[in-house]
Parts: sequence; C-alpha cells; structure tokens
Amino acid sequence: MKPPSALAGKFDSERFSPNTFAYILMIPAAIVMFGVVVYPFMYNVVLSFSNMSLRHFKDWHLIGMRQYAEVFKGKIFYIVLLKTLVWTFVNIFFHVTIGVSLALILNRKIFGRAAVRTLLILPWAIPQVIVALTWRSMFNYEYGSINLFIAHFLNMSPVEWLGKPLEAFSACIITNVWLGFPFMMTIALGGLQSIPQELYEAADIDGASGWRKFWSVTVPLLKPVMIPAITLGIIWTFNNVNIIWLVSNGGEPSDQTHILVSYVYKAAFNLYRYGYAAALSMVIFAILLTFSLVFLKRTRASETAY
Amino acid sequence: MKTTGNKFKIQNLKLRILNLFLYFLLIGFTLAVLYPILNVFSISLRPGDRLLSTSLNLIPDGASFHAYKVLFTQTPFLLWFWNSSLIAAAVTITGVALASTAGYAFSRFNFYGRKSAMVGLLVTQMFPPTMLLLPMYIMLLKLHLINSYLGVIVIYTSTALPFCVWQMKGYYDTIPFSLEEAARIDGSTRWGAFRKIVLPLAAPALVITALFSFMTAWSEYIVAAQVLQDTSLFTLPLGLKQFEASMSTQWGLYAAGSLLVSVPAVALFLILSRWLISGLTLGSVKG
Amino acid sequence: MRYSLAVVLCAVFISSCAKSTLDDPHQIVIWHQLRPDERLVLKSLLADYMAKHPGLKITALYKETEELRSGFQIAAIGGAGPDLVYGPSDQVGPFEAMEIILPLDTLFTTEYVSRFDPKGLVYSHGHLYQIADRVGNHVMLVYNKALISKPPQTMDELIKFGEKFTRPPNYYGLVWNYTEPYFFIPFLTGYGGWVMDSLGNPTLDTPQMVAALKFMKALRDKYKIVPKSCDYETADALFKEGKAAMIINGPWSFGDYKKAGIDFGLARIPLIGETGIWPGPMVSPLGFSINASVPKWKIPEVVELMKYLLSPEVELTYTKRFDTIPTRKDLYEDPAVRDNPLVRMSEYQMEVGRPMPIVPELRAVWDAMRPSYQAVLGGTETPEQAAKEMQKSALEKIREMNE
Repeated sequence: MKPPSALAGKFDSERFSPNTFAYILMIPAAIVMFGVVVYPFMYNVVLSFSNMSLRHFKDWHLIGMRQYAEVFKGKIFYIVLLKTLVWTFVNIFFHVTIGVSLALILNRKIFGRAAVRTLLILPWAIPQVIVALTWRSMFNYEYGSINLFIAHFLNMSPVEWLGKPLEAFSACIITNVWLGFPFMMTIALGGLQSIPQELYEAADIDGASGWRKFWSVTVPLLKPVMIPAITLGIIWTFNNVNIIWLVSNGGEPSDQTHILVSYVYKAAFNLYRYGYAAALSMVIFAILLTFSLVFLKRTRASETAY
Repeated sequence: MKTTGNKFKIQNLKLRILNLFLYFLLIGFTLAVLYPILNVFSISLRPGDRLLSTSLNLIPDGASFHAYKVLFTQTPFLLWFWNSSLIAAAVTITGVALASTAGYAFSRFNFYGRKSAMVGLLVTQMFPPTMLLLPMYIMLLKLHLINSYLGVIVIYTSTALPFCVWQMKGYYDTIPFSLEEAARIDGSTRWGAFRKIVLPLAAPALVITALFSFMTAWSEYIVAAQVLQDTSLFTLPLGLKQFEASMSTQWGLYAAGSLLVSVPAVALFLILSRWLISGLTLGSVKG
Repeated sequence: MRYSLAVVLCAVFISSCAKSTLDDPHQIVIWHQLRPDERLVLKSLLADYMAKHPGLKITALYKETEELRSGFQIAAIGGAGPDLVYGPSDQVGPFEAMEIILPLDTLFTTEYVSRFDPKGLVYSHGHLYQIADRVGNHVMLVYNKALISKPPQTMDELIKFGEKFTRPPNYYGLVWNYTEPYFFIPFLTGYGGWVMDSLGNPTLDTPQMVAALKFMKALRDKYKIVPKSCDYETADALFKEGKAAMIINGPWSFGDYKKAGIDFGLARIPLIGETGIWPGPMVSPLGFSINASVPKWKIPEVVELMKYLLSPEVELTYTKRFDTIPTRKDLYEDPAVRDNPLVRMSEYQMEVGRPMPIVPELRAVWDAMRPSYQAVLGGTETPEQAAKEMQKSALEKIREMNE
C-alpha cells in the first residue's frame, strides 16, 4: 500500500468543483452505510405489516396495519414509553453533566491528571456484562456493598434494590450512568481542545467570573462537538437493552423495569411475535426520528459552520 | 495580572479552596469507578466460581491467580485476542479514513442532499438493533459473508460511522475556515489544505473517532455471535461467552478475561490521549 | 492505483466467501448448551469420531439457552444454521411449530428407538423430534453434610431445623433461586397443582396455586428460614460458602459443589404434610434434533453422528464423569449407573417428578407466572390475586402468541 500522500499526488482535487469534491469525500462512507442499512430496514418495514409469528413462521403474509393497532392498543405501551423517556433523559443528563464536569477538571493542569484520566476511562473499556452483573451483586439486599454503605455511613435502613420496581429501575440507571459518563468525558475533553485560550484571556480582561466564562465561552464552543454525541447518546440509551436485562435480570421484579426495546426483545424472541416486534420497532424508530429532527433543528447541528 | 496584594490573596485562597474541592471530587469519582472494577478483580481471584460473595473483602479467602493461568494455558485466549485485534484494527482504520473525509465534506461544503445525508446517518442508529439482526444475517448469508471477517468488519464500520462522521463534522466546524483560505492562497490544493492544515488540527477528534471505532469492534457480541460460527474465528467477546453456562458459569475465568479485555482499550486511550490533550491547540496555531 | 485497489478488494471478497456449512459434506455443526466441563468431554468424543472419519470436521458451538433459540430461528429463516441442535425438550415445541426441525421417525428404525427409555424420546403431534442422551434438569434438595446430618423428610422437619439453624445474615436453613418460577414448580405439585392441562390450557388460577404461593411466602416471612431476597447467584454463594444448610438446585450444580469442596448429599424435596404429596420437579430430557434445512443427501451423515453421540459408550462416559442419567435402557443395569448414589437419588426424586410439557404455550405460561409470582414475594399482590392474574395473563399471551 502506498502512503496516503502518494494517493493525493495522483488525486487532483482541483479538477472538481467544490461540491463534487465534497461528494467524493463522502461517498465511501455513504456506500457502506447505505449497503448495510437499507436492506435490513426495508425488511423490517415489510415484517411490520405481516403476521410473522410462531404459527406463521415460514408462511407469513401481509396483513396491513393490524400489528400497529396492536401496539397502541394497551395501556402498557404508554407506561413503558414513559419509563423509557425517564430512563433516557436521566441517563443522558448525568452522562453529560458528569462527563463535562470531569473533562473541565481534567483539562486544568492539576497533579496526577494523566493517571486519573486513564482510570476514569475504565467503565467504557471493560466488557459490560461482567460489570453489570457486579453492580447487580453490589445491589444485593443483604450482602451488597451499597446497602452496607448506606447502613454504616448514612445510618439509613437498607434498600431493597432489586425487589421493588422503582428501586430496581434506579439500580439500572445508576449502573448505566457509571458505564456511560467516560464516553461523554472523552468527547468533552476533545472538544475543549478546540477552544482558543485567548477567548478566556479576553474574558478575564473583561473581568468575567468563572461561571460567566463557562456559559459564554466554554458552552457555545463545546456545542458543535457535544450535540452529535448527545443526540446519538439519547438514541443509543433509548435503545439500550443490555443493562436493563442484566441488572434487573430480564425485567424483574414483575416486568416493571422494562423499557421499549427490552419489550421488543421479549416479544420477538420469547413469544415469537416477529410481526408485532417489527411494528413496535417502527414506532420506536418514528419516535426517535421525530425527536432528532426537532432537536437538531433547535440546536442547528446539521448546519455548516461557514 | 494587575491586582492589589490583598485582592490577589483572596483570589489565591479562593482558587486553593476550589482546587481542594476539585481534588475531592476527582478522588470521589475515581473511587466510584475503581470499586466495581476491583470487585470484578476480586471475582477473578475467588475460588469456586462464585459471582457473589457474602464477604466484602476485596481479597477473597483462598485468592489465587489460577484463573489467569488457566486462561493463558488451557483456553484459546490468545487466539481470540489476535482475532479481535485484527478486526478492531481494520474497523479503526476504515472508520478513521471514511469519517475524517465525510465529516470534512459535511462541515465545509454546502452540497445538494447534505442535510438529509446527515440526518440519514443518524437514522441508521434509531432502529432497535435486535430487530436488525435477522435481516442482516439473511443479507450476509446471501452475500456469502457468514463466517467471514469481512462481514463483521463491514457491519461494525457501519455501526461506528454515523457517530464518527458527526463527531468529525462538529470538530471541523470549530476550526476557522480562514486557515484553509490562507493555505489556498499560498497555492495549496483543496486536498492539500485538508490534509496538511485541517487534519492535524483535528487530532483530538481523530482520536475520539479511532477510540470509538475500536471500542465498537472490540466489545461487540451480538452480531459476532450470529455471523462467526467457527471457533477458530472467535473474537474476545465470543470467547468470554464460552465461559458462561446456564446456572454454571465459570465466573473466575469470565472476570479475569473481562479485565484483560479492557487492557488494550485502556492502553490505546493512554497512547492516543497524547493527541487528545495535546499542547497543539488552535490557540497556539493562531497565536 | 485505483484499479489495483479494486482488484485487492475483490480478491478479499471472493476469498472470504463461504457457503453455508449445511451444504458442506465435510462439515457438521452442533449447537449445544453443555456446561464447560461437559464441553471438554464432548470435544474429545468428537475428536475420536473425526479420527475415524478422516476429512470430516465437526464444530461444536456452545450457545446460551435463549441465544440458541433466537439464533436458531434467525438462521433457520435464512435456511442455514447448525446441522444438530442439542438442548432441553421444551425447545422442541416452538421449533416444531415453526417447522425448523425434522421429524425423526423415518430416519431411525423403530427397533433403534425402542432401545431408549420413553422418557428420552420427545414426541410432538405424534412425531418424534428429539432423542435425548440424558434425562434430568430436575431440581432436588441438596444438603451440606457438615451442617445437617440427616435431610428432613417432611416440610415440618425442614422448618423446625431451619428455625433452629437460621441466623441472618450468616446462616440460613434453606436457600434457592426463588425468584424464578421453574424452582417453584415442586411446591405447586406438592399441593397437587400443575401449570397446564393435557390440551395446553393454563391451569394457574387454582386453590393449589394459592396454597403453594402461601406456603412459599411463609417459608420466608413467617418461619424466616430463607433469605429476604435470593436469586440464583445469592443462593449459590451461600451454599458454596457453607452458610446455607440446604439448597434446592439441579444436577448442573453438583459438579461445582464438588469443586467447591462441599460434602453434600441429595434428597427428595421434603413431603408436604398438609397434602401428603411429595413435591415433584419438572423433568426434561436433553437431546438432539436435526435442522430442517439440512439437505437430503447429507442427512445420513448427520444421523450417523447422532447415533454415535447417543451410543451407550458415550452416554456412559457422561454418567461416569457427571452423574447424568442415561436414556439407554441397556445401561440401567450397568454398575456405573446402578451403583452411583447421585444417579440413584436423582432417579428417586424424578419418580415423583413430571415431564416438562413441550408445547410452545409453556413459554407463555412462564412469562405469565413470573411477574405475579414476584409480586407475591414483593408483597404487592396477595396469592389469590396473583393466581387470577397469572391465569389471565397466560391466556392473553397464548392468544397473542398463536395469532
């Protein structure tokens, strides 16, 4: 393989109009995405209008909107949707606030920051299954370290973390916050590098307080880097089935900790309702699409800067 | 800084209190991060394959490195490690190459279909992944890509790309266009301006893209489990799963393996963080 | 340059093209759910077989229960997947309904099939779909001989011992994974109940169910001989650490307890005095089924391998190592089986067990039982409410599933 510079030598970017140049830069990524995503997506669209299930596994046929009607029929969809929203926003709120705060601290020249930075990345680096299960055991009523901590240091009575719906849901959230903040921290650390030091110095001369500097310099300049991460963070968290499944052992207690995707998972693989699960997935998709369009419009993230 | 001595002292005191507070915060977070991981370590040392222990001791009774020894001598851990490295390297390289160029196009050019393409990238992430498994499998089967690394590499790259492209685009947005204009006036080509001026400045974003692509490939399980059906092709997450069994998991090996899996990811971060937090910020270039 | 790149890409693409292993006469793939120790034995057994069949490659892949099911469904839609699936009998129900496994009647002679204990032959709608190499999956009482010298014969004895022995959080009379309904079945049967009738209709809203739920709750809340919350890992840890005198668990755990150095004995789950009935666990065989997508010409090859894995020698190897209960009738008089105390105790427990229904509806029944069952434990539903709720939800889920 020749080094990229050789490639560039052959590749005369001046031959093209700016837009053609842009297309050329973007096409390789587009081909990969298009190829991998379109077929599966269309397949699901078709499935969502079909009756594919245990009894019609190989001989399924289209039945129209019936599966969609089924999705919106019960109260349960709305309850689970509400839980999903809580799950998503609480998680992202903590991911971002913790991540950005830590990034700000670690961006200062303080002693030992390289070591701390590396340690703080660990939750992102370690395989999720084992830590999720470790957290589950830390939430154990009698032997878990969290209850012992609560009892010894905070003098409160132990919490039945995994046996009660609200507590179990909180346990899932705590675990996921722990798993997710290093990612946001890394993004924010990268983003902070793009902020020119002079802007802070200029603000100093204006006599701005630290708080004002944060809001008028740091936040606006972190935005272009953080908005994509936050948007995708919301989408991923909305669709994160793993942590709920592992920490609450598949929705315990009493299927009270489900979010929409774990619900889809159960419908598709436990009760073999492929058509229904596909329709529910389409609904999830529509919710996320609407959200993203509104969010991006309001934050203007897809605009060009120039 | 022009301040009277007194004011300076107060400021200095305030700064010290702030610093002290920040230190406490950092120490608190570091402990919160380390404790569960030390627990995993403790599981890996514990005899008898117990996931849970009724004792809080981090060094369990009868602790030994037996699991680590078994991992290296009696399991194909190194083979899995090699396979995973291969896949992750391929995904990282393609991810960085494709995202750095596409992101640049999105940031700098206002071409037709730009906005819908950007949203289109996000759209690919919105479908519940469990439901994509079935059609993805059928597609790979038709393309004869089952049991092939190419299949997983393509899938992983497409999983990592949307974030990477957006992230690169966001970072390019913060780099002033004037820098390229200056280079163009000096006779540089468009490609040259991108490669020699913009790309180096976007190092922190490239680091994030690389890390993210790497992690996507390094830790993925579900797709790999469906696509790779030959033990000699197994990646680390698939290998780790081999220690599991319904109600009879080898927790010692599983925990030891998990910890070792995280080592290369941390090492990569350590190496790359030189560029993530480099002295070479925009400020210094423009200054 | 660009052309050469394209050529390289094409080469990579073509070289990595692999057809489904189903169409490869030199490869047989098995998906199974064996435990790590058992996998090693399987591996060496397969190595022996391959040595006798040069040119044949057999891949045995472990798949976790749920993953085996979902993965096999997905692969089957694409007409691919493993040649053989090995697992508990209840997977036969859905696989048969989806027509993704083959009926075995024509592939094995009646004479061959007659050499197996009927418990090891899984029929559905009159056709044979699975032949087992072992029966089991039953739960029973495992006791730590250092903590209790003689296992209790009745629940009253168990409670009396438990009340004396239990000192939370260090000592418990009895532990088990009581959040999972599978482990609750012995209590249900001990009160004379069962999950469904012979037609597959759920029978959950019964006085027997209510009584069983009440008893189970009393063990924890009234007699306080089991921990306040106890999932599989908690129960397992307490027993392995010698903090629990007894555990309700299945044969899959015996090997681990041996390794953990626990001197344990097996017993029937104690008689329920009120009814005079022995609690009976669900019993299910574990065996092989053939993927419906295996091409016709390859079937004899797969059948031959299956016959090897079901041979008396192979079954005996497992019994000797893991105390499994073989399905070959001619092995029952073999000293390795007859004189194995663990096997004999398992058989004694299984005498009062009931075979696991293999209809797909069982899945809906589990999914319906779990929430209400846990709600009883959590105190948010009374046993009466829970029984009603389970039945209602089971009927609804069955309806949804069969749509």
